[in-house]
Amino acid sequence: MSYAIPDEELLLSGHLACPGCGGSLSMRLALKALGEETLVIIPACCWSIIAGAFPYSSLKVPLMHTAFETGGSVAAGIKAGLEILGDTKTTVLTWAGDGGTFDIGLQALSAAVERNDDFIYACYDNEAYMNTGIQRSSATPWGAWTTTTPVRHPKETPKKDIVAIMAAHRIPYTATATVAYPEDLVRKFQKARGIRGSKFIHILSPCPPGWKTEPAHSIRISRLAVESKVFPLYEVENGEKWKITVWPRREVPVREYLKLQGRFSHLTEEDIEFIQENVDREWERLVARAGR
Amino acid sequence: MEKVIMGNHAVSYGAKLARAQVIAAYPITPQTQIVEILSEFCADGLLDAKFIKVESEHSAMAACIGASSAGARAFTATSGHGLALMHEMLHWATGARLPIVMANVNRAMGPGWSIWTEQTDSLSQRDTGWLQFYCESNQEVLDTVIQAFKIAERVLLPVMLVLDAFFLSHTEEPVDIPDQELVDSYLPPYDARYKLDTSDPHAFGALVTPDHYMELRYKIQQAMEEAIEVVRQADREFGGDFGRSYGLVEGYRLEDAEVVLVTSATITSTARVVVDELREEGHKIGLLKVRMFRPFPVEDIREALAGASKVAVIDRNISFGHGGIFAEETKAALYNGAHRPPIFGFVIGLGGRDVTPASIRGIAEYTLEHDVPETEIIWREVKK
Amino acid sequence: MPEEIVFKTEADMPPLPMSLGTTLVNKTGSWRYIRPLYMDKTPPCNNKCPAGEDIVGYLALVKEGKYKQAWELIKQENPFPGVCGRVCPHPCESKCNREELGGAIAIHTIERFLADWAASQHLGVSASKQRYDAKVAVIGSGPAGLSCAYHLARRGYPVTVFEALPLAGGMMRVGIPEYRLPRQVLDREIADIEAVGVEIRNGMRLGANLRMSDLDDYDAVFIAVGLQQSRKLSIPGEEAEGIVHGLEFLNRVHRGEEVQVAPRVMVIGGGNTAVDAARTALRLGSKATILYRRSRAEMPAITEEIEEALAEGVEIRYLTTPIEVLTESGRVTGLKCVKMGLGAPDESGRRRPIPIEGSEYTLEANTIIPAIAQELEDGSWKLEDGSWKLEAGDRRPALSLAAGLEVEGGRIVINEAGATTAPAIFAGGDAATPFGTVAHAIGSGKRAALAIDRYLRGEELSGFPPIEEAVHAFPRDTSPIIVRFEDLNLAYFEELERMAQPQMPVEKRVRGFQEVNLGFSEKDAQAEAERCFSCGTCNLCDTCLIFCPDVAIARLMAPPYPVPLACLNGAGYKVNYDYCKGCGVCAEECPRYAISIEEELKWKK
Repeated sequence: MSYAIPDEELLLSGHLACPGCGGSLSMRLALKALGEETLVIIPACCWSIIAGAFPYSSLKVPLMHTAFETGGSVAAGIKAGLEILGDTKTTVLTWAGDGGTFDIGLQALSAAVERNDDFIYACYDNEAYMNTGIQRSSATPWGAWTTTTPVRHPKETPKKDIVAIMAAHRIPYTATATVAYPEDLVRKFQKARGIRGSKFIHILSPCPPGWKTEPAHSIRISRLAVESKVFPLYEVENGEKWKITVWPRREVPVREYLKLQGRFSHLTEEDIEFIQENVDREWERLVARAGR
Repeated sequence: MEKVIMGNHAVSYGAKLARAQVIAAYPITPQTQIVEILSEFCADGLLDAKFIKVESEHSAMAACIGASSAGARAFTATSGHGLALMHEMLHWATGARLPIVMANVNRAMGPGWSIWTEQTDSLSQRDTGWLQFYCESNQEVLDTVIQAFKIAERVLLPVMLVLDAFFLSHTEEPVDIPDQELVDSYLPPYDARYKLDTSDPHAFGALVTPDHYMELRYKIQQAMEEAIEVVRQADREFGGDFGRSYGLVEGYRLEDAEVVLVTSATITSTARVVVDELREEGHKIGLLKVRMFRPFPVEDIREALAGASKVAVIDRNISFGHGGIFAEETKAALYNGAHRPPIFGFVIGLGGRDVTPASIRGIAEYTLEHDVPETEIIWREVKK
Repeated sequence: MPEEIVFKTEADMPPLPMSLGTTLVNKTGSWRYIRPLYMDKTPPCNNKCPAGEDIVGYLALVKEGKYKQAWELIKQENPFPGVCGRVCPHPCESKCNREELGGAIAIHTIERFLADWAASQHLGVSASKQRYDAKVAVIGSGPAGLSCAYHLARRGYPVTVFEALPLAGGMMRVGIPEYRLPRQVLDREIADIEAVGVEIRNGMRLGANLRMSDLDDYDAVFIAVGLQQSRKLSIPGEEAEGIVHGLEFLNRVHRGEEVQVAPRVMVIGGGNTAVDAARTALRLGSKATILYRRSRAEMPAITEEIEEALAEGVEIRYLTTPIEVLTESGRVTGLKCVKMGLGAPDESGRRRPIPIEGSEYTLEANTIIPAIAQELEDGSWKLEDGSWKLEAGDRRPALSLAAGLEVEGGRIVINEAGATTAPAIFAGGDAATPFGTVAHAIGSGKRAALAIDRYLRGEELSGFPPIEEAVHAFPRDTSPIIVRFEDLNLAYFEELERMAQPQMPVEKRVRGFQEVNLGFSEKDAQAEAERCFSCGTCNLCDTCLIFCPDVAIARLMAPPYPVPLACLNGAGYKVNYDYCKGCGVCAEECPRYAISIEEELKWKK
């Protein structure tokens, strides 16, 4: 109707995501984009639970659960297996959390994309180890509270720039996406599907229990992340050509984004200014690379 | 076709003849020749397979798991630390009931770094649910690779075949390399019953609550027990097709043996010579080679040792805090049986230290001279 | 509904943990403690329209290019879109939430576009298939009378409208000049009313050729005679020659009479009649000045009319009141005026004008047009016919009328059903309500029609909304909560400027009576309609459906939709409460506040 998004639903109700989970909505949209000739690999993350317990599944496509650090390696094996059996059409999609991508899974991911294995690796990033109870990961943003970066000692290092890391591998396609911009997300997955080689899509995925936010606000927060330039939406081709795909319509200070989230409620004015400076500087750098 | 080839190449030929479809491997001494020649086969079009150059052994096993889940015949090879790194995924392959075949070149664990042979690496994985075969010769290695796929695909469990570092891996022996057509008739293409298939989608490996988990584990053990007969049959058929069979265990001069040496892998070859010598001297001594370690062939071993007064198990491995693993398993196998002779557990040859005919003669003499072992572990040739 | 999978023994299980069913067995609706519901609410435009139009509904139809359905939707409530789209003061626009993001929607001009388009397509309204026996008489063919007749006829009642003047239309005919309301527009919409079965009898004046006993043939009467009497200035000299009251002046011009007013006209008053009179005088070659006793801010005339008058060269003097007509040989020569200051507010809420001592001054004039107020005509409805006796329980209208109607504050007293104190007699329009616009009169006539319908069927006349609120012939089942700007989710809307309709250039305008406002093209009408937020009214934008993380919202049907989208009452989607976890994302993201949240039932005490 009003959204250029395919109608078919490949995610079923009854899944175990928390109310308002950005990760479940992003899977729903990604599968709509990719269609039923898709196979999903889920290393240990929230989706290991969301997908449903044996003997039930919430996906209408084949799904393989796998060990935490194997998102890249299992995908390589599956893709090789499919191709040797004559199937070059099925899209292989690894669907991993930030832990399994930025931390424990980084090695296998780097290897897979260095080989330019033909698959899509999507990281739905809720910025901490949420499935195990909100512990910090290298995707946790500076200043955020988690159980292992408590308020008296919040995260002191910046969020790892996974997109830059992927782009540095010179893979055909790297992109960021988030749930508040569903058409942008769908378009990026569809574009990825049409490219042979490694594709990496980084999805910012609001998490009400982990971010200490209202479930109803997940889309709003996702939108504010983009509008305040904390999480710009862009794509990189072959590690060289940067392009911003959604330009913020208005000037939004990061404060607007931060104030809705309990995990940032301890931040001082100084902290917020520091974050604003960093966001501004990163944005300028991105714009310089991407052009207008 | 007969060729004089090293054990590692025997593995490669086995995998080629078995028409492995996806090979994912990471180099580690002394396994490297296995994958080198396999990648040559692939590059030359002699083997229609996808060769994934993974970045670690953990990823190698993960990739094999992926490929096998997609319905392809998957193969890998590793050694020592590489096998240890795969440990998590070995469990996974079993729980996922995937017929993956792997060759492991037995190598000692560091630190300090040791590239020489020891069985502790593979035996440390004995609880993971993989079938394990310990090979005595390069011919046996090649033949076991082929048999392994047949067995694995029948029982839906992964199979590991093991060869000694350098003594087999790098030692050239004459090997009969069978014709492809013959192998094809013995081992048809893999037709996976459960696989990732967009036309019949399922989720694999999801959360299993205490309500269901135990039954799945029960089924794995059932498969292991069924495997014993499957292995026997596969070996028999192989014998029929290729003229060679090996059994789960092999007895040598057991008929009236009072003392039986229990060995595995290349120590067996050396032990045969010593048994012959001692028989010349009038000792009633025999040899039991244990080829299949998992599932542990309890019935075959009890039967083989039914007449023995004393049993000497030779372990080129150790489970710290307990003892040589073949010895412990043999003791356990006989405990509930009718006949329980004293079992002498000898640990020798760790870190690739040579086990010579003299070493084995020493073990045999100790056993002949003692009614019961003096210690639970009898260390041989340790400087102490 | 998928069944739970139960394994009796291990033999029933697959050898590996492989799914055999779906999570649809897991009804996650049990997690909820709040639930969303589709609840269409009242947009401020619908709330404000005195004629009770479903504005949000027809704007949605215009957006889709469904002009015929849009026009029909208006005609369901208001038979005069062509008129209203030209003369209404558009209170709908004054409350439009879009004002805050580019300007209110030009609803008024879109309404006009639809009427003009319908005319170009020769569209008509169908008569009712139902025919009742009970007959209704309507006195007065102004907007109230014709609206009442129209609605009754559409329900199947035979209605006769009695009009004193030679042509029907009331104020629309004689009080509003052609340059605001071309006659063919009015004629066409009156013809539509006759086409649904209303009989209009012109030249029939109550108390003259229309006798009380004639009304006895009818089962109910609606009095909509308007306020025909112009209030006198009550200053010396106002009987002189050269003084013509506003309505009388406009009436004569409309009839085509030669009315000499040039060269200098003074119009007294601040309402639309005063402005119309001044602009008409201008077009007849005169210089025209309006004298108003308060300031611009208090002037009751429609803002656009005042602006157009000023553009055309009408002069307006504020804070000025005439105190004496200056004459010579019984003819007007000028006006003596006094300047006013504004004091405390009076009963109308506006600041009371107070003459400033010693500020008298004189203005030259040869024609003075007072247009300060209208009043009920004396007596025409208070006649007695002595041959009738009043009997207990006698409900015949003629007798009721003879007994007299209660009048208060210069208007006939009516209740919320539009009923007077006399049984079977209803009243409305300017004669009974204080609002003074065509749209209010139309609403008033409709109210009476709905009441008369109930009355004739023997039903209670209860449940009508207060007189200040509009009634609906086809009410939609929506919540009375009125949507405010803060209730909308602005993330879904861009700031887009309101379109202005083109106007004839001033030099051309003042030379004659051609229409000043030129209306919207189809493209512009649609572009304007696209800006509508659709406040409180689900228009199937799919936002809720797309953002539900639990796939718990589904469309109830696929296009094409059987009713206009905006009339679906949120029945376009269904929440699957078996799975809805109550996250509230749908309600939060709904651009137009068509979804509400309520506490889950089990948590309610």
